[in-house]
Amino acid sequence: MAAADDSERVEQPAETGLWVYGVVRAAADRVPADLVGIDGAAVRAVEHGEIAAVVAEIALERPPGRRADLVAHGEVLDRLMRTDVVVPVRFGSVLAEPASVVEDLLEPNADYFASLLDELSGRTQYNLRATYHEPVVLAEVVEADPDIAELSARTRDLPEDSAYGDRVRLGELVSRAMDDKRDQDSASLLEAILPWVAAHAVRAAGGLDHLLDVALLVDDDRRGDFEEQLENLAESVHERIRLRLVGPVAPYDFVGDA
Amino acid sequence: MSVQTTQRRGGGYLERPAPSGLADVIEIILDKGIVIDAYVRVSLVGIELLTIDARIVIASVDTYLRFAEATNRLDLYEKGGKDLSEFVGDLQEGGAAKKTSGAVKGVKKAITGGSDEDDDDEGRRPAKKSSTRRRRTEDA
Repeated sequence: MAAADDSERVEQPAETGLWVYGVVRAAADRVPADLVGIDGAAVRAVEHGEIAAVVAEIALERPPGRRADLVAHGEVLDRLMRTDVVVPVRFGSVLAEPASVVEDLLEPNADYFASLLDELSGRTQYNLRATYHEPVVLAEVVEADPDIAELSARTRDLPEDSAYGDRVRLGELVSRAMDDKRDQDSASLLEAILPWVAAHAVRAAGGLDHLLDVALLVDDDRRGDFEEQLENLAESVHERIRLRLVGPVAPYDFVGDA
Repeated sequence: MSVQTTQRRGGGYLERPAPSGLADVIEIILDKGIVIDAYVRVSLVGIELLTIDARIVIASVDTYLRFAEATNRLDLYEKGGKDLSEFVGDLQEGGAAKKTSGAVKGVKKAITGGSDEDDDDEGRRPAKKSSTRRRRTEDA
């Protein structure tokens, strides 16, 4: 293929960047040799002193392929987390070249990353979601407030397109009552959990049955106690509240901004 | 892989799903982690869309109507022995208030298709409902 006369474009390599997955402590074999990331690209470390960024090449012009990308990003961090501490970098962070990884990311933030890695070392994140058993809690709301009970009784058997004002009013009252309940219940859940965790970060969430979404950072040597505590808590609240614990995961919620 | 292996230990009330579903991955990853300054970043086709889509604000009136519907689906008659006659004496309250403040919820519908959140409550209602009051919205 040497003789193409319009070869100017062909000779230009496809533009690529470096997708950054996370920051780790620099060490031989820190990144597993078989680790691949988005689009199956080989993952490697770009080191700077004690720390290293975990990166892989990525084409800048490519179909978004969003779901697979998210999953691949998460899997790389999962693998890294299994062997040592890792600071996750936000999904979608791409730098131009290895020099930029060092000069723009690692060098200026070296002290910050080093102390963050120390802080997170030996700790693990869990995500806890508490949701209400909606019928149970709504029944509590209706029983506690005569206005709500009356509005519900008045609107429940009417056609859906009638009594619009009453329905909005009813929903508003219920929504407020649920907010109050949520405040109280999430406070008491946290009270029961926080003695077992090193740090926590409440996450934004929504939904009718939403009670509490919180990321919990747990010392590795207390994980057994922590899980047992949550097991007991789940049992004691199970008539009204469901607890769902995901993890361990990389400490996504405990890294701040670089 | 993509098999949900829910392990139940101890009393079995704490749900411990393996975080393998897309909804879980989104929950865990999106908008989390160290942010690299925008001026050193290179932009990647399609990525911005994903992060923007992830937050949708629902108008509060819509939320209220969903609460009202959920409340009215309850089976109060069977449960507490409450009777309509308890309430009919007090019908003078108007329905004029249509406040639209507050109650803004963030959801991730754009990505999950709203499939993960609401699908398992209905099936677990107490079995003592009378079939005439049953208003299922789910079996599609």
